[in-house]
Amino acid sequence: MEVQSCVKIINEWDIVAARQLGRNVAKDLGFGTVDQARVTTAISELARNIYLYAGQGTVAIEKVQRNGKAGMKIIAVDEGPGIKDIRKVMEDGYTTSGGLGAGLPGVKRLMDEFDIDSTPGKGTKILATKWLR
Amino acid sequence: MNITIDVKDINSTVEVQVKGEIDAYTAPKLRESLFPLSEQANVSMVVDLTEVSYMDSTGLGVFVGLFKSVRAHNGEFKLIGLSERLRRLFDITGLADIIDIKSHAEGGLE
Amino acid sequence: MEFKDNLEGKYREALSSFLKDQTEQALYQGQKISRKTMENRVSPEEIISMHKSILMEVCPGDPQKILDSFDFLMEVMMGYGIAYREHQSLRHQQQELKSEIELAANVQHTLLETKIPDVKVMDIGAISVPARQMSGDYYHFVQDENQNIGVAIADVIGKGIPAALCMSMIKYAMDSLPENRHAPSSVLESLNRVVEQNVDPSMFITMFYGLYNPDSHVFSYAAAGHEPGFYYEASTDTMSDLDAKGLLLGVEKKTRYRQYEKQVEPGDMIILLSDGVTECRTSEGFIERETLMQFIRNNLHLGAQEIVNNIFKQLEKMQHFELRDDFTLIILKRDV
Repeated sequence: MEVQSCVKIINEWDIVAARQLGRNVAKDLGFGTVDQARVTTAISELARNIYLYAGQGTVAIEKVQRNGKAGMKIIAVDEGPGIKDIRKVMEDGYTTSGGLGAGLPGVKRLMDEFDIDSTPGKGTKILATKWLR
Repeated sequence: MNITIDVKDINSTVEVQVKGEIDAYTAPKLRESLFPLSEQANVSMVVDLTEVSYMDSTGLGVFVGLFKSVRAHNGEFKLIGLSERLRRLFDITGLADIIDIKSHAEGGLE
Repeated sequence: MEFKDNLEGKYREALSSFLKDQTEQALYQGQKISRKTMENRVSPEEIISMHKSILMEVCPGDPQKILDSFDFLMEVMMGYGIAYREHQSLRHQQQELKSEIELAANVQHTLLETKIPDVKVMDIGAISVPARQMSGDYYHFVQDENQNIGVAIADVIGKGIPAALCMSMIKYAMDSLPENRHAPSSVLESLNRVVEQNVDPSMFITMFYGLYNPDSHVFSYAAAGHEPGFYYEASTDTMSDLDAKGLLLGVEKKTRYRQYEKQVEPGDMIILLSDGVTECRTSEGFIERETLMQFIRNNLHLGAQEIVNNIFKQLEKMQHFELRDDFTLIILKRDV
């Protein structure tokens, strides 16, 4: 089976495709089941944000190496409305209570590294990395 | 501790029926649902408090705010169906002299 | 109830599909279920129990499927795990806020501190207890160069921090009143202008201001929408309302306040309070002013400070130690 490294997010089924891609890479790298589920949930959240708020975008998965450690990086990019107040969306207690999902703070907790760049009117780019323990 | 607010808004004639308790927790909800309506020009707003079982001074704040907003938009503001206890609250605060209020006995919305 | 039946159906469907061929699609359904159950406040243990009973139904005695089903369960639990960690971090934040508020409450306490004047002619007692950490009640004593005793009691409509901030402003407005303008009606008129200009339109203040002349024993006072106090007349052993009418501070710019006067005889008592005293709710409803008068009566033989302390204790007990509003009670008793 050929591993696609990038999934275009246009409709809800693409979220499943992004999850599948992430899970395959995670399995391949040797992540345990719990970490597989964490990475997949993070991908799912990011893809869903694109689907719901930006309309469309891409989720790419990369295998990465640093100091002899292996890991995987999620790159979620969209050209949607962007986020005006990043500090606010990164605040706890903002999204989970209403069943809106883990939100970005949740994604940040699921992964080891998290980076966000957003320009209102231009779009958002989120990088999140998980290292193999 | 809950509140229900029924609003009928026809041609700037706003009839409101409040049920439940008005306190620090429910007052913001009351303010949010009624304040925008008070900002219509020449609005006529009647709020029926017959089924309000409890109101503390926070509620008073909401009604004074509404009264001032309605007055600023050349409208009319009226509170009806006040219980004896509420009536006393409006008397003590001197608001009974500036806001049109009618107690329980003087009839409510038809 | 309907949601629960619906949920079981969805869960059965997604779990069966996952057990059949372990697709990512089925796991995604699992994540969506997680979202829904959290939204409807389904607890994790209820999910485990549902998982167990559905599992017994769909694959009795197939060990591999039972093991696989845990992957599905983990997906469903993921949302709870995230919420749990968020909860921990929020709890930490709450602790921080709490200590910040405690600090602010201390600052407020220092800011609003007032000394009960030590005068020969009068026995004065005062107690003020906030419902939460910060008080929207305020009382203050001043003594002018003619030894007149000014007493102010005020209550911001609203509680907690916004009310407390507002109260600090009143304190400064009071401090900056000209020395020679301590006539109660003019004090209220000046403060009304300050409040009207500087405070949010839905925030108001009720206030009572009294001035006691220790030579003539005349107590002059005025009130702005404040809960009436009581007056105890020793010679007739009767208690009555200390009525004073006037509009709340901050409603109308040009409000005039009427000034009242009372000749105070030896043994007479002036009782001032905030609405936290009369709005105290017990299991049998609000405490009646008559009941309160009776409490005061029962304590008449005591000193002013003891009376206010006793009454607070009694009311606190009646409310099962849960104050709904800030509580302030002041008693001025002319010595016999």
